[in-house]
Amino acid sequence: MHDREWLLRVSRLLCDYSSHLMGCGVHTSRVVRNTKRLGLAFDVYVTLSTFQNTMSISAMDMITNKVHSEIFEVEKSPILFSHNTELSALSWDAIDNKLTVEEIEEKYNKILSKHLLDPKLILLMVSLANLSFCKLFGGDAISMLIVFLATAFGFFLKQVMTKWMCNNYMTIFASSFIASIICSVSFLFDCSSDICMATSVLYLIPGVPLVNGVIDIIEGYTLMGLTRLINCSLIILFIAVGLGLTLILIK
Amino acid sequence: MFVKIILDCFFASIAGCGFGAISNPPKRAFLYIAILSAMGHCLRTILMSYCKLDIATSSLFAGILIGFSSLPFSKISYCTATVLYIPALLPMIPGKYAYNTIFALISFLQNTDDKVLSSKYMDDLLSNLMITSSVIFVLAVGATMPVFLFPNKAYQMTRRKK
Repeated sequence: MHDREWLLRVSRLLCDYSSHLMGCGVHTSRVVRNTKRLGLAFDVYVTLSTFQNTMSISAMDMITNKVHSEIFEVEKSPILFSHNTELSALSWDAIDNKLTVEEIEEKYNKILSKHLLDPKLILLMVSLANLSFCKLFGGDAISMLIVFLATAFGFFLKQVMTKWMCNNYMTIFASSFIASIICSVSFLFDCSSDICMATSVLYLIPGVPLVNGVIDIIEGYTLMGLTRLINCSLIILFIAVGLGLTLILIK
Repeated sequence: MFVKIILDCFFASIAGCGFGAISNPPKRAFLYIAILSAMGHCLRTILMSYCKLDIATSSLFAGILIGFSSLPFSKISYCTATVLYIPALLPMIPGKYAYNTIFALISFLQNTDDKVLSSKYMDDLLSNLMITSSVIFVLAVGATMPVFLFPNKAYQMTRRKK
């Protein structure tokens, strides 16, 4: 039944959907495309306007020509590739199988409530990844071990500070400083210290926003792309400040 | 040579999966992230060590390989291509050059009174910064190129029924 209440309900779902997609690290054109597709499944034509912290939506019911417009906030969320994939699949599912609003809401909530990877497992995997990175750069066994420990401490601190809702840049700075200061122990041993120090902070490199920024600019979402790249530059700057402070201290 | 390449693939795949884990990909994506990371890093090592290509050109080819290979893999795994190729690019971030950039910057700031030393560190700073930013840029462009060449195909990877 295409009445005002129904359009409001569909619009709310579309707002939540696009806000969550944008928050969990999906590039802008995909957010817009997926939301439009999901809207078309209800015969609702969607126009989205995107900014870093807010978005606005105009949803027009193509049967009754009624329009609902709303400005809403982008959800603050860590990068979640699993939601990127599942929510993208949901939009195809909705249009291919003609799902109802209730069915989509149920599937949407189910995707959001799925268990993510265990933080302890992520900690272990990131530490092993940085250890491997050290090896790829030509590091020896002692350097690899030191990098593993430094990454474990640095990433654990990042997880704790993120949980405490600390400022993202302060978190990056603290994590970078702790990881690099632990790696500076390598100067006491006869090992590849430079490689050890160079590898210590690489787990903080913001790969996802960096690539999303490039994609956004190439696809014509220049403002969003530049915003993402400025955000990346600031993250890299704070990694550098943390590492730089260690280098000054150990000089 | 063969052992070096195998080890390179092994450690690159661990690095790719580990850095990918930060972004919480679906569990089924890890296998393909590992394969893409190994392929990309292996190609870059071969191009740099045996074909004597520079790091930026080698990274561009490695990025393109990862980008193109991510399309069939994302179709098989029902994941979006970005979920697979972004973590696979991370083991190729030129960390040593990035470190040298920061090291040169701090050394420059601490030796501003000495003209010879400060010029040397400024040279180091600029060359390392150029290499780091160029490599990161070509990696991103190389990997995203196939998505822009085949947009319709790339945007339907998570579609289960056509």
